[in-house]
Formats: sequence, C-alpha cells, structure tokens
Amino acid sequence: MKMLPNDAVERIGEGCKRIGDLCKQEGISQWEVVAFQSYGHQLDIEAGKISLAAGGGEGGYGIRVLEEGRFGYAYLVDASSATPAIQQALDVARASPAIEGFVLPSAQEAAPVDGLCDRRILDIGPEDLLEQADAVLSEVASLDKRAVVTGGGLGVGATASAILSSEGIESSGITTSHGLGVQVSIDADDELTSSYEGDSGRQLLADVPSCIANAVHWAQVTRGPIEVDSQPQDTPVLMTSEGFSPLFSMVVPTALRGDRLVRNESFWSGKEGTQVLASDLSLIDDGRMDGGKSASSRDGEGVPSRRQTLVENGRLVGSMWGTRDAAQQVAEGRIEHAETTGNAVRGGHQSPPGIGCSDFTMTSKNGGHSQDALLQEMGDGYIVHSVMGAHTANPTSGDFSVTTSTILRVEGGQILGPVKQAGLSGNLAKALSEGVRLGDDVRVQGSYSSGSMHLPDVLMLQGLRVNPA
Amino acid sequence: MVMSASPNDDRTSGTGRYLQQSKIQAALDHAQDLGASYAEVRLMAITDSSVAIRDGKLERAIPGQDIGVTMRILADGAWGVHSTTDVLSLPGQVESTVKLAKAVAARRASKDRPVALAEVPILQNEVHWKPKKDVRNTDLDTKLHHLMTLHDSAAEDERIVSVTCGWHDEHLHTELMTSEGMNRTWSFQRSLINATVTGRDGGDVVSYRTRHGGEGGLEVIEACDLGELGRTAQIATLRLLKAERAPSGKLPLVADRDLTGVYIHEALGHPCEADLVAAGDSCLDGKLGQTIGNSIVTVVDDPTIRGGYGAHPIDDEGLDTREKCLIKNGVLTEYLNHRETAHHFGIAPNAGARAQDGLHHPLVRMSNTMIQGGTHNDLDELIEDISYGVYACGSRGGQVDTGRGSFQFAAQEAWLIENGELTKPLKDVSVSGLTLQILKDVDGLTQDARLAAPGFCGKGQTVPVGDGGPIMRISNALVG
Repeated sequence: MKMLPNDAVERIGEGCKRIGDLCKQEGISQWEVVAFQSYGHQLDIEAGKISLAAGGGEGGYGIRVLEEGRFGYAYLVDASSATPAIQQALDVARASPAIEGFVLPSAQEAAPVDGLCDRRILDIGPEDLLEQADAVLSEVASLDKRAVVTGGGLGVGATASAILSSEGIESSGITTSHGLGVQVSIDADDELTSSYEGDSGRQLLADVPSCIANAVHWAQVTRGPIEVDSQPQDTPVLMTSEGFSPLFSMVVPTALRGDRLVRNESFWSGKEGTQVLASDLSLIDDGRMDGGKSASSRDGEGVPSRRQTLVENGRLVGSMWGTRDAAQQVAEGRIEHAETTGNAVRGGHQSPPGIGCSDFTMTSKNGGHSQDALLQEMGDGYIVHSVMGAHTANPTSGDFSVTTSTILRVEGGQILGPVKQAGLSGNLAKALSEGVRLGDDVRVQGSYSSGSMHLPDVLMLQGLRVNPA
Repeated sequence: MVMSASPNDDRTSGTGRYLQQSKIQAALDHAQDLGASYAEVRLMAITDSSVAIRDGKLERAIPGQDIGVTMRILADGAWGVHSTTDVLSLPGQVESTVKLAKAVAARRASKDRPVALAEVPILQNEVHWKPKKDVRNTDLDTKLHHLMTLHDSAAEDERIVSVTCGWHDEHLHTELMTSEGMNRTWSFQRSLINATVTGRDGGDVVSYRTRHGGEGGLEVIEACDLGELGRTAQIATLRLLKAERAPSGKLPLVADRDLTGVYIHEALGHPCEADLVAAGDSCLDGKLGQTIGNSIVTVVDDPTIRGGYGAHPIDDEGLDTREKCLIKNGVLTEYLNHRETAHHFGIAPNAGARAQDGLHHPLVRMSNTMIQGGTHNDLDELIEDISYGVYACGSRGGQVDTGRGSFQFAAQEAWLIENGELTKPLKDVSVSGLTLQILKDVDGLTQDARLAAPGFCGKGQTVPVGDGGPIMRISNALVG
C-alpha cells in the first residue's frame, strides 16, 4: 500500500486502549475514546494546469467522559499526552449539569457495510493522480477548445478510525475516498461562462468521470444570454440535482433532527404524524447504504447504524437522534420517550457526537421522470443548475433567497436559452409540500450540514419566485 | 509513529518553540541538495476552547490542542507540499516532496511559466501580539458568566423558544523556517462570542444570529455590552416574526455596516485575490489602474487593525503585514497577493498569504476588509430621497463567482423604505449583482466606517475575517 501504513489501525487502536486505561486508572465510570488518522494525496489545478501536488496525514483522539449524567470532552493529537486532556474533560464534566438517564451506549453487534473501502485506492500514488489530472485536462480541451479548467483539484484519501468505550464498544476500520472537482470556464468573445462540477465516493472513480463533460456542457449552454421579462414571477422551476442539493441539505435534514423538532426549532415542529411533504414523497436516511459516502457500520458513538424512513408518503414519521440529545430532551420533559436512532455524527476527533444524517434520499412513489417529461409538465419556467448563497438559507424557517448564473428559460416545454443572472427565492418546505416531480437520474452530492444527498432533478411547480436580473 | 509531537514533548526546552531548528535546517538544506530552489517549514500550534450553552444550560465545553506542520518545496518551478500532525516525521518526507514537485514541473507545458517567488526581506525574529488578558487563563466560570449574560438578555420573551450561545477562543502560535534563512515565530489570540435566537409565533418560526469578537484575549469579550447584544438580537427576532417577504426587483438599497462589509468582501475582495486573477478566474483581470467604481469608493484590506477578527502580525510566508489599498477613489490600485503571484505580475509582495492552520498551504486571502467612510452624516440622510427601496441589516453570508463577477449576499433583516422613511420590517432579503456594475452604483456612504461583526471566509480553507465600512447606499440593486 502506497498511502496507508500497514499497521495504521493497530496504532490508533493501541492509542485508544492507552487512553482508556488511563480513564480506568482515574476511576471514571464511563468513558469513550475515538481516533481518526487520515492519509492522502491531492493535486490542485489552476489556469489549465496542475499547480501543486500535496500529501500527508493528520489525526487525533477525542475523549468523552461521563459521570452521573455529566459529560466532558477534550481532544488531543498525541496519546502520550492524554493525562491532562482527561483531567480537562473531567473538569468540564463536573461543571456541567447532570442529564438524568444519560449513559453511554452499550455494546451491540453491528453488521459491516459493504463498499466503504476500495483497496485499489490504497495503492494510488501521486503519479497515478497526476495521470488522472492529465486525462481530465485533455478531456476538457477535447470537448471544447475554448474551455479551461480554471480551478479545482482531485485527491484520494484513506482514514483509519477506531472507537473504544467503557461499555464494551470496540470497533475499528478503514474507509477510502476519491474525489474530483473542476471549475471549467469559457472566456471568449467578451463573454466568460463557467461551471463547477464534482464527483466523489468511497470507490475509485473513473479516470474521467461524467462530471467533466457536465462542467463543459454547462459552461457552453449558459453562453449567449437571452432577454427575458425582468419582472419577478412565481413560476415552476426544475432544479438539477446539483443545484437542488445544496439548498435541500442546508434546510431539510436539519429540520428532522429530533432535538430541533421537540424544541420548536424546526419548521416541522408539532407536525409529527401529519402531512409535511407532497403525498408521494418519502425521505430516508440510510446509514447502511452499500458504498455510501457517509455510511458506516456504527455511528459516531458506536451505535449500529440503520436505515430509517423519516417522511413516508408525505407524512412525518421519524426523526434523528443521538444518545445524549435523546436523554436530555426526555429529562427536560419535552418528549416522553426518545432514544438514539444511530444518527450521532462527528466532525472528526475534535467534536463530540452531534445529530446528523448519513446517506439521505428523497423518493417518490410515482417514480422518476425523464427530463423531457419534466419539461413538458413544467410548460413555462426555468431550469436552475447551480445557486450562489445556498448556505444563507434559513434552516429554522426554510426560507431562502439565492442567486443563479446557471439558469435556462423554458417556454412550452422547450429550452429557449440562458438567462444571465437571476434571483431565486421561496420557502423550501412549502415548495416541497405539493406539486413536486422527481427526475429519474439520482446523483450523489455533498452537503452543507452532514451526510450525503442522493437526489434526482426536482421539478417544483409552486412556491418559488424567479427574479431575472 | 503515526501521531506524535505533543507540544510539550517536542517543544524545544527553554526557547518557547516547537520546531527543533537544527533538524529543520538540515531538512531544508537537504531539499536544496536535492534540487529545490526554495523550501519552507511552517508549524502552527493552536490551543483553543469552545463552550456552548443552550437555554441557559451548559451544553458542551471543549478544550483542545492541535498542531500541524506543512513543508512546501519549490523545485523546477513547481510546488510539492507535505502536511502532517506528526512533526517528527517531517525530515523523512523531504525526498518524496521534492520528487512530487519535480513530477508536477515535468508536466508543465512550454507556454506555462515556472513558479518563482518575489524577493522579500529575510527576517529572523519573534513577534507576539500580547493580549491584555490572556484568554488561556480564562476559566470556565468566567466564560459561562458572559454566555449567560448574553443568553438572559436574548431570552426575555415567551415567543423566544430557544437561545443557543457559543464561545470560541484560540491562541495561535506559528513558526516559519525557510531555505532563504527566514526564521520567524509569531503568536496572537482571537476571541468570539455568538448567539442564535429562535422565535416562534403560531406556525411562524424565525431565527436571528449575532456575533461579537476579534483579535485579542478576554478583553475583546469584556469590551462588548453583551446584555445589549442579546437584547438587540431578541428584538430583531421578534420583529422578524412580524416581517413581510421582501419585494423583488431592482431597487435602491441601503446596507448597514455588517452587510456593507460582506458586500465588499464578496463583490470586490475575492476578485482582487491575485491567485484567482492569475488563474483567469477574476473579472478584475487586466483592470489595474482602471476606474471600476464610483469615485466615492475607497477600499482597504488591513490585517494590522488590532482587534479586527482578520488581524495578524505576519503573513504565512513570513512577511510583515500591511494595509493594502484595493480601490482608491474608484480606481483599482492593488491586488491582494502572495510571493508567487507578486512575481507573476511583477509587483511588490503585500503579505496576503494565509493558511487555515498548520496543515494547509497558504493562499491569497483577505483579512480586515473595509470601504472607507464618505460624506453623509447618517442613515436618515442616506434614505431621505429614496421613494421606494430597502434598508438591509446584518449578514447571513454571501458568495461570489469571481470569474463571472457575480455575487450574492443575504441580510438577516430589513426594512422597506417609503418616501424617505423606514416603514415595514422585511425578511429573507438577498442582494445580487455584478461587481463591475454595482461598484459604480454605490452613491452614498456615511462618514463613520468601522469593522462590523466578525466573519469566516471559505476558499477551500476557512479563515477568520473582519469586514465592515460605513452605511452604504446602492442606487440600483437586484433585491430578492
């Protein structure tokens, strides 16, 4: 293996054990140690050429201690300096309010999830990445001589992780990743258009993934903007998976966190059991998806991951929980009963578990439709392929107001041409509450909150306003 | 060894430094022996603390220590980089990193110029921006006291259903050694407090967030009237519950200093970053010396403004920081640059290199970015001749497409302006436009420019920034 030391997992496992032994010596009743160690290679591309090659590794340990419902956390890089970190975590625990009923998860069997580690990636070296970059740059040039990769990069990584707890949880493993993203620009005839596209996964990507052609395509089709009525209008919008996912991931998974639902911090608070989405739509969080970018046999605190339906045929039927938040909300009387759903997530060794989704899907019992069929149903409206400012959407209310320069005008089901720039606003929860049609090509996208979004193109027939510049 | 280099273990006894200089010097020499024209090792050690309370109860308190080191090697006109938390392993990576750089160089087309660096003063010294009150000495009770003050003032209404308050402080220690003989160590601190307030009235739910922070220790937090900060957030949240959707269309827009800061950061600051210009990804390419804005517009980026959230004494290539004047009276005068882009454009380096931490290589970044003040006395004077427009306040963030020169930023709340008066409260206001157009449409600025709330900027790496300015009027903005 070129990337990962052969004994990487054993090393961090030993570190966890060493820290765990120190916790025992301190007489701590419940403790949990997690460790992550990542290695990788990456290339940056600028101005049509490889600008930098990098490699390296990073990692650390996180320690959670629990005494009579009071928890503390600390993190560190080197297991040999764990004693002061444990003391810091204990100090924090003693200053924290007790949460009645909060105990660390007990050990349970967790079946492995397939496809999370591609051993071919472990053998990839910098030269292999350089060859892939060459292939990508050549492909872009061959698709359009005017097109240049003005930014982006590619990389491979492997992460060894481990968790060990006083409750008997002991688990470790290796996951891999391969990612690529390019900003393709066409600067000609006094007009510059561009498009960013990317792809990533646990498995080795094709040398030239389809996102490369998509980037060139969108840089091409947004050239030569047409004039449209500049009055704001409420209109149907077909958002591609790439355009829809950033908004969706900012707003919807957050609204399904159990703590936010019971604390009135979600636009779906108080609507449990009722219709919240169009009646054909379902939302599923699948922590056990084969090859899922965010899937794992266990969640961030060692609880076996699961597949959970959160919205079924439009009805809110589930929510996402971690151990601590469930105990806290029950103890504070906001909900009679709650327990972990295996949705504890971490941002690495520096964070204690919070609540988040893993591999998140939206499906329709009506199935998916071709883009032609969606355009026919739309009639007049717009296609939006990317938005600026998705991170400014309000996850509490579902309101958003973003901008797009990758927008096409559609009339009578036919694409007329691109619009130079437009605002797009609305409330995502309301827009998804009726008149939604899904495409037939599910693509995996990253996320602003947690997890990965598996979404097709989405046609929203109501609830959105387009404001052409 | 996978993870090592505890700051305590590896720190060179008595020198206050983490890098073992003789070993690093040997590694740098070795890189040159292997053909590198330049090599550097930069270490950053961060001691930080995060605290969060929710509804008045301690949610979490996390003390942490991180260390990372990045070796950057220039060979045959191309970069190879190695980053690791395992400081002791670094010398063993010199050969592979030189090889990496040469492999990149071998792929360079004949039309492409090799990377070279602008010359800079070679300094060996230490610079420590001492806080008045070292935040590392602040105990949890003190942090909780400040958080509770913020919380209690924000929560005083039954329609406020949740208040989450956060604290983050960090002490940053950086060491840089280069093959040119640069050997510098610097340190400073940042402190931040924030709140997110959620209000609900029937089926309507809204949220509002507020922040205060800057470069420095505990004194940064103590300088803020947290009770007032919380009350302001509470009032704004309740106002949002009654606010109407903003009108859409092209309208006169007045922005408070928070939003002015985000506007200038997104619309101008990013396109001014010379690495994006050199990559062909900036609408300001080739426009140095040209008039791109109204003559009332002067914009600076200044990391030396102590207390600003983007302040730092030395950039991550070892240069003393200084003010950069990006626009002077509407004329584009300077790009933000680092040594590579300074050489590329044949201009003087201006210390614009920043890295997120010790595990990232430096990019061209902003620091504290501001529009300078104008001539209007106050908000009233700016809006008195607007018959129908929007006054937008507070930032929810923004984004820019530097190549196309289009940007978007979102306000936390707003008011409708009717016949020179603020009338109805509005929500969900965002503004978009084109950099090269909207800078010309800035037609009014109040006199009192200053930095606003702290922020964070993402460009593949995240760095803290300060933005601000005066209250600004744009004659014609696309409001969503």
